[in-house]
Amino acid sequence: METVRLLEEHEFPQELQKYFEGTKTWFGIDYIPKMSKVISYAPEFASTHGRCSRRAMVDGDLKRKQKEMIAVAVSAVNACEY
Amino acid sequence: MGYSDDAYWYEAAYVYGVTHGINAVADGLRLPLEYSDTPARKPLIKAIEFEDASDRLKDIYSDIMAFYQSEQIPVIFKTLAHDEGYLRDYWGAVRFVFSDGKLNRLTKETLAFAASMAAKSDYGVDLHLAEARRLGLSEKGVMEAVQVVQLFSAYTKIADGLQLSPDFDPMRVT
Repeated sequence: METVRLLEEHEFPQELQKYFEGTKTWFGIDYIPKMSKVISYAPEFASTHGRCSRRAMVDGDLKRKQKEMIAVAVSAVNACEY
Repeated sequence: MGYSDDAYWYEAAYVYGVTHGINAVADGLRLPLEYSDTPARKPLIKAIEFEDASDRLKDIYSDIMAFYQSEQIPVIFKTLAHDEGYLRDYWGAVRFVFSDGKLNRLTKETLAFAASMAAKSDYGVDLHLAEARRLGLSEKGVMEAVQVVQLFSAYTKIADGLQLSPDFDPMRVT
């Protein structure tokens, strides 16, 4: 159970809607992930940290699928269920 | 083409699991780093050097050197060599896990480097970064791995702190 109330989509500022649509497209899902809601609670954090994530996860010398696998390994090492 | 086959994920789990096991022992015993040991760590258990090894142990060492294409035998194996039977099987597992499979060897070493960084293992970062570079990982690729580790180390802590329950289906294939 989350220790904070996650905001509903309509509670976020209008300027974040484009970011949310980009997130849905990126993950191929039709909902906003909880983590996106968490980092978007502070729009300045969402725009900076979120941009770092997009920049880091696109295909580069490592492919996106390799990067996602690294992310899973980091989550496993940190024993993070989310 | 993504990693939709379970075999990729089994292999990845073997890699970061075995890496974690090696790192736990190497850092726990303060084994000297393979490539950047300044200042040097003082190991708690003495390694068995090649010249002091039995013939059977030399065979294992030779296989390790051939695998890494190096005259240098990682000290973790020279430490485990106090139980030759254990080392033989353990090295067999490591060689299997880090050989080309569904994932290639470079991807596995990059994964091990990232897992070591996430676990804050000096020994693992030192060993697997050198090995990934030897196998062809570019400096751009190194930084990309660093960025993913940094970002997801942050995400995992944020998720744990707020006790977020999962909302992604890991079996979903888009």
